[in-house]
Amino acid sequence: MAIAAIEAEELTRVYGSLRAVDGVSFTVEPGEIFGFLGPNGAGKTTTVRMLTTILTPTDGTARIFGHDIRRDSYGARLQFGVVPEESNVYLELSAWQNLLFSARLYRIPSHEARLRAERLLQLFGLWGRHQEKVQVFSRGMRRKVAIAMSLIHEPRLLFLDEPTSGLDVQSTRAIHELIRHLNQQGTTVFLTTHRMEEAQSLCTRIAIINRGRLATVDTPTKLRRTLQQLQAVEVQIDGLTEAEEEALQALPTVVRALRRGSALRLYTPEPVETIRELLRYADEHGKKIAALETLQPSLEEVFLYLTEGIEGVTVGEQAVPQAAKLGSERGGKR
Amino acid sequence: MKVQQTLARLRREFAIALAIAAKDVQVYYLAPPMIMFGLLLPFFMFFSFSVRRGLAPAESVARLLAITTFFTASSAGPVILPMERRTRTFERMLVAPVALISVLAGEAAVGMVFGAGVSILTLLLATIFLGVRSVSPVALIAAVLLASAAFSALGLLFASWPTSSATPVGSIMMPATLVRWPLMFVSGVFVPLEQMSQPLRAISYLSPLTYAQDLFDHLVMGRGLQPAALNWAALVAFLVIFIAATIWFHRVQRQRGY
Repeated sequence: MAIAAIEAEELTRVYGSLRAVDGVSFTVEPGEIFGFLGPNGAGKTTTVRMLTTILTPTDGTARIFGHDIRRDSYGARLQFGVVPEESNVYLELSAWQNLLFSARLYRIPSHEARLRAERLLQLFGLWGRHQEKVQVFSRGMRRKVAIAMSLIHEPRLLFLDEPTSGLDVQSTRAIHELIRHLNQQGTTVFLTTHRMEEAQSLCTRIAIINRGRLATVDTPTKLRRTLQQLQAVEVQIDGLTEAEEEALQALPTVVRALRRGSALRLYTPEPVETIRELLRYADEHGKKIAALETLQPSLEEVFLYLTEGIEGVTVGEQAVPQAAKLGSERGGKR
Repeated sequence: MKVQQTLARLRREFAIALAIAAKDVQVYYLAPPMIMFGLLLPFFMFFSFSVRRGLAPAESVARLLAITTFFTASSAGPVILPMERRTRTFERMLVAPVALISVLAGEAAVGMVFGAGVSILTLLLATIFLGVRSVSPVALIAAVLLASAAFSALGLLFASWPTSSATPVGSIMMPATLVRWPLMFVSGVFVPLEQMSQPLRAISYLSPLTYAQDLFDHLVMGRGLQPAALNWAALVAFLVIFIAATIWFHRVQRQRGY
């Protein structure tokens, strides 16, 4: 059996009374793109900082390709490269100088370092500007330099912390392509993000973390199914009676409803079909729709759903036990 | 076999420390705070306190050497480390397979070279234009290097005080200057030790600058108040203490989180 790329065991980090990461355990297999998904402040970066030995865990440990981060941090560090959320490059140096400095940190012989630096800068489309100071580069280009620096020692595992945060669509697409390319070349990728669509499009498995606790580790397909259950259509209809409201809640595609002020939120796995049903209902009963919008679940909602469940919503064969508070004044499908 | 492994590891650590120092030279030597606090300020202070005092050339050079090694070398750490931590480039070194002491040694080497370089240049100019001759040029250069190393480690110690990564250079440099400035007055630089009151003199022995000044007096003027060997030993001790304290601060920081 191959050694796991990452084996985290009850990783815990406490700051005063705050448990920033609370007994997190998971395994990342070699060759995976493993997504670590959670809202801002969920504990993603703290976990990465512990895994990359910048921060000492309060409790628990992890092994990187078999090297314990507490007992053999030196061995563990040889296995990975890290790209933090902020591109940590030297703006006063050129892309070329940045890469060569990184190579020296890993004692790569000069000739080999030059070959690798050229290859990486060409791969990242920066070779034409390799002698320019990084301070004239765009955010996306700086991010590419930061990633290239982290790859100069050809690590087996790459930590990417919010790699596309603050980037425009074009740069985001380019970084996604790079991640896929690196993974195809054999690099295991541990990617933290707060964007569900990014995790879904890139990752082979996704862990969801919130408030320091891990909710689930699953495939994007299963997560997508969960998300579908949490989609909603919010509708505002003038002069809606209680009986009419109940009729809307009983629409075939609606699994749960919540009153949100003057609007009615209808949870549905098929928002398009629900909209059709709503329009039909309004047409048949002479009602005027004042507002209508579809809602995608927030990560917070997904996490609450996965940990506590939402009344009336089930995923696959899993029955959901308790009502989760998504904010309600009145509601719940009867 | 184990000895060979240890030697290979030491060579590796030394090479990485050198790479860090070389990178710092490229990135920070022309940074405005380095020029301001490391180059202009020591000379400004020297001329402010020395002009019209009728000092002999040798005495002037001994004092100037103390000021430049002290102020210039100890300015590098409070400039470099906060900048590295703010841009998170410091983390790049922390996640590399290298010991913390090597990273810090690399950072300290920059201050040492900066301080020693400015001081040796001063010495050369004094030799050419003022005709000042050292009792032992080799020992004097060694003393400049040792003092610069100790003061650079002091600067790194200031910069390593556990704070948040967003601390700006000024927030480190100002307290560091507030500590360094009074040291100049109790270390025999502006007021010779023999003219100090007993309580002030007792305090002066706590300052590393006292030993550097006295050592420069020995090596430039041929006379000092304390045995030269004591000055050498004290500077080495301060160097070790500052580095040990710096490492301890970083260990605390790693526990708390950078």
